[in-house]
Amino acid sequence: MPVPVPLRAPARARIRLRASATIHAVIDGATTAFDAPMPRRWRTFADAVALALGLNVWLSLVLVPAIHVGALGSAARVALVALPLAALGAGIWRRSELLLLGAFPSALLVPISIEPAIASPHLYGPVRFLVVAAGIVAYLLSGSFFAAFHEPAVPVSMRPLASAAAARPARWRRRERVYWELTVLAVLCPALGLYWVNFDPGIAGFLARMYAGRVAGMLTLLNVAVLALWLILYLHVFLGALRPHRTGDRDVVTDLAIARTEAQKGRPRLRFHVAVAGALVFMGLLVYLRHL
Amino acid sequence: MRRYFFEILALALIGGSMFFFKESIDYLSRRDYIAALVVMVIGISVITVGKEMARLALVQRD
Repeated sequence: MPVPVPLRAPARARIRLRASATIHAVIDGATTAFDAPMPRRWRTFADAVALALGLNVWLSLVLVPAIHVGALGSAARVALVALPLAALGAGIWRRSELLLLGAFPSALLVPISIEPAIASPHLYGPVRFLVVAAGIVAYLLSGSFFAAFHEPAVPVSMRPLASAAAARPARWRRRERVYWELTVLAVLCPALGLYWVNFDPGIAGFLARMYAGRVAGMLTLLNVAVLALWLILYLHVFLGALRPHRTGDRDVVTDLAIARTEAQKGRPRLRFHVAVAGALVFMGLLVYLRHL
Repeated sequence: MRRYFFEILALALIGGSMFFFKESIDYLSRRDYIAALVVMVIGISVITVGKEMARLALVQRD
């Protein structure tokens, strides 16, 4: 086991540790460089995954349907359809989460908003809908994971901690299980909403009867409404349950302290009672309206 | 035991709230906007209760 050698004060003062890809330790005028450049294989792999899955989403969601409905009639339309590729390329070039997870998915909606027939359910069908949805989820999950992945520099030496040999506590296993359950629900909930809007026979029949000739536009509007509702639910429900468990983010330390205090309360909070009362009141109101 | 109870309740409530949102879409398609709004509020209330159950499941100690 290495024994640390005590350094004199001037020597300690000359120690400079620079947190960068290359770590230099300057000790007593002698420079020892631990040249440990950040390996780039993970970044290249992450870029390749983002590019492949992003192209798959663009092909299945925009290009192929656009060809089917003949939405590539002019140079402007072609440029519009190719617009998401610019966002994807810029995101990979800049390795920006905002571009990859925000601008690219938003840019996919631009050609669809101009030509709603691209998102027509007649082009999809339930099976293709599931395949495209799986592609989008794969892109978002992998993009999110790899964008947040930071490979540490190769350590000079390693020593396992005593706690590493112990089995993972049941509490952490349960947490991980709940995280996965919330992740699965976070995928299923918007997929179910979009499926109902686009493939429910009752809704399709009603739209065809009431909005003849404008079904694609109305469907786009309903899809956007479902996504907007889903975003609100995601922010307040799914992120709400996970927010007290975030760690390692300096910007939210204060919020974390408050949230941790709240999370440790083993009893339902006021919003629980308000929600139960609200549900009961509105159920009563609905029954009253039905029998008015 | 309580943690499993809370976990199952959270799954049931969050999953069950989808029924209310589907009903809300049905009411919208029938142009019954008031009923759609009421059912949507019920759905949000149910999913909020589910979220609280998920939080309780997470804070339960062994």
